[in-house]
Amino acid sequence: MPATCSACGTSPAALRRPKTGHALCRACFLAAFEEETHQAIVAGRLFRPGETVAIGASGGKDSTVLAHLLQLLDQRHGYGLRLLLLSVDEGIAGYRDASLAAVRRHQHRSGLPLHVVSYRQLYGWSMDRIARHLGPRNNCTFCGVFRRQALDRGALLMGADKIATGHNADDVAETVLMNFLRGDVGRLRRGAGAGPAGGEGAVPRCKPLRHAYEKEIVLYAYFQGLDYFSTECVYAPQAYRGYARALLKELEAARPSAVADLGHSGERLSLRSDLRMPARGTCQRCGYVASQPLCKACVLLEGLDRGLPKLGIGKHRRLRDKLQDGQPLTQEERRRLGALAEEEPPEEQVPLGELGRDEELWGKQELRGPRDLDF
Amino acid sequence: MAAPMSLLVEFGGGAELLFDGVKKHQVTLPCQPEPWDIRNLLKWIKQNLLKERPELFIQGDTVRPGILVLINDADWELMGELDYKLQDQDNVVFISTLHGG
Amino acid sequence: MVVCVALCMTVGPYSGNRLALIVSFPSCAEKCMKCKEASPVLVIRVGDAFCKACFREYFVHKFRAMLGKNRAIYPGEKVLLALSGGPASSSMLRQVQEVSAPQRSNSLHLASLVCYSEGAVCGQSLAERGDTLLQMETILQASRFPYHLAHLEEVFDLPSSILQHAPHNPTGPKNSYKEAVEGFIRQQRREEGGSPSLPERQIQEKLAEVSLRDVPGMEGLADPEARLLAAVRTEQLIRLFGSVKTLTAKEELLQTLRNHLILHTARTQGYSKVMMGESCTRLAVKLLTNLSLGRGASLAMDTGFSDDRHGDVVVVRPMREYSAKEIAFYNHLFGVPTVFTPALDTKALEKASIHRVIERFVYGLQAEFPSTVSTVYRTGEKLSVTPGDASPAAEPERCLLCLCALDTNVGKCKRCLPAPG
Repeated sequence: MPATCSACGTSPAALRRPKTGHALCRACFLAAFEEETHQAIVAGRLFRPGETVAIGASGGKDSTVLAHLLQLLDQRHGYGLRLLLLSVDEGIAGYRDASLAAVRRHQHRSGLPLHVVSYRQLYGWSMDRIARHLGPRNNCTFCGVFRRQALDRGALLMGADKIATGHNADDVAETVLMNFLRGDVGRLRRGAGAGPAGGEGAVPRCKPLRHAYEKEIVLYAYFQGLDYFSTECVYAPQAYRGYARALLKELEAARPSAVADLGHSGERLSLRSDLRMPARGTCQRCGYVASQPLCKACVLLEGLDRGLPKLGIGKHRRLRDKLQDGQPLTQEERRRLGALAEEEPPEEQVPLGELGRDEELWGKQELRGPRDLDF
Repeated sequence: MAAPMSLLVEFGGGAELLFDGVKKHQVTLPCQPEPWDIRNLLKWIKQNLLKERPELFIQGDTVRPGILVLINDADWELMGELDYKLQDQDNVVFISTLHGG
Repeated sequence: MVVCVALCMTVGPYSGNRLALIVSFPSCAEKCMKCKEASPVLVIRVGDAFCKACFREYFVHKFRAMLGKNRAIYPGEKVLLALSGGPASSSMLRQVQEVSAPQRSNSLHLASLVCYSEGAVCGQSLAERGDTLLQMETILQASRFPYHLAHLEEVFDLPSSILQHAPHNPTGPKNSYKEAVEGFIRQQRREEGGSPSLPERQIQEKLAEVSLRDVPGMEGLADPEARLLAAVRTEQLIRLFGSVKTLTAKEELLQTLRNHLILHTARTQGYSKVMMGESCTRLAVKLLTNLSLGRGASLAMDTGFSDDRHGDVVVVRPMREYSAKEIAFYNHLFGVPTVFTPALDTKALEKASIHRVIERFVYGLQAEFPSTVSTVYRTGEKLSVTPGDASPAAEPERCLLCLCALDTNVGKCKRCLPAPG
């Protein structure tokens, strides 16, 4: 005989909440989870009536639960939002195509409009092709940088006022740990806040599920019978995030509140005011926010286009400066930037930033030239 | 063939707790076909000296992170770590820098 | 055969992340990176191999530089050293002795020691505790500084004022460190010739005073009634810790009580500065531990060089730039006596508490990425003690237990909320 639900006192409990330790029946858990998300939205003033919100939909559990909840709560509490699904197609065969199918099924059930932007469309490179050039490491760097911009571009195209992402409490906690371990002060300063302000991209972002434990999201999806896609990306997970993730799991086992506590810490960290922070400007080439003359995505793309895929990865500042000045690189330097040994002799050196690819801000929809022929 | 050799093995910083609280051990390593190095000394210690919770001292084939090793009062990092070939009358010290020993 | 062994050393199976320097054989090939002459005895960071003499100089200099850089201790100021008997605080005592040498102008003549004993809650038997205290006292007496022994049992007798922030009362010349130093040197010159010097006389007086004082607790309890009281207190303490369910919460409770005890000792004995011996390694662990406990807002206070949350008594952490390895080597090479006392989590399971999980993680990652500890430590350096949204003028509402500014709007700070389960 299982315990009785501690909320209604009548039904048998279906689960013990990882966050609070309470035993709840299915109905009470669903109600509590929905109400908590609503409270988080209200308390954080995440949305304003009449706003168009693009939900970053990957087809995975978090964004599926988020889309479901936002639609439900919008109806229940009359937020007055226009909700859209926005997906990014990184071009990863066997992974993204399958998860996009899950997004499409959700679109049909929910009736929400869906828009898909692809890396191939935006950058001229699919992840599969990048991975072939880059080898097994650093793929997640490219993918992460590109996805961030892709969501912004997609949201702008759709006329969205805000992007809502499915980041949960575990994601936030991992990020806090990772930024601390890496000493990434810039990211620590931006914090793990949920609020609409302070996003680094062009469109404000929010994370309505940032207080929800991953376990509860999975349970919610399970009890609601939500259909989602749950396979790991075919490219190796980021090594360093892997450490943070393993650590978080151990911390949670030792003290379940650690997940929420890390999120709280992240919000409350305050950095010394005398630290020099990179000034934020815009990318000379594409107009995206950047602290360097070129944004990270444009440097990464430049590296890919030049056959030097590691140009934007790690500490190659000197080599980047050399390119910036139009100086030729030696064979050894090219090798360090990931140039393949059997490659044809280097083409004429053109200063970095003068290839002039992306003239039109945010509106780039055309496939680029002959380099895309491998599809 | 390595002749039997005599070593002074010491444990400190709390590591001695895993060795019945005994800090200094005058040990004699038996003859064996291959020469003695730190790697097989650790195995020998695990079998012959370690009294409890071996994972708090040895992990994999090396010492647990946070345990320092000194060979004749010098950092084992200068001596080739696990590959250091022991010599008769060597002094090997293990110091735990871990809080909970 | 010995010769042969030396020659067959090879590069061996070092992976890329491990110290790449150790390609050559021991002491004969490599030289100390400082003097370029003597054989090195330890590697501090990747590639920095020091000989014994240079290491000692580096170590001692770092302590003096730390005090000088932060201008934390005014000449002639009374300083209380918190000693656990562990490696870092014992090493700190040795450093204070080094800088207190009579020929130094900027000295710490008025240092004194408080040694805390927590054996009762860390599973030590009465006999073991007696033995530990005996070892401690030997070290304390040899230091020739006046000392106080503080037993955790005494927390039951602390006044409630320990939970209050005492407004800062500037007594000394706080504005100009330089003036203070010059003033002190002038004063010393005037005193020269008289022997023993004033501070030394004070030390002797203090010592006499201390030896007269009846230390409540374990030793010197001829009086059966006092012994009974001590036993009752110990029993009470064990019950208190027994009522706390998780090891994480026990660790936090112990830290809070220990801080209260040290603060009380400092206040009653008239000290305005307390030195704590936390190393860089320990601070890295503490940073991540406290981050995981939700103390993000108080990290800078909990780990910074100077911690003025109590107002009248400032805690400083002069050992914060030494790694645990440097300290262990220093103590070993220069015969610094330490007393090993078990901690709450000694021999506990690896995953038993947040503290334990983080410690294992940091040491493990450090073995793989040698910059882990220093990166975490340096991230901590960049944090501010004042919360971002605080108005600078208003006196913040403070947590009753840890005295840090409240970071929630529900009345209690994160650490002091009851632990779930």
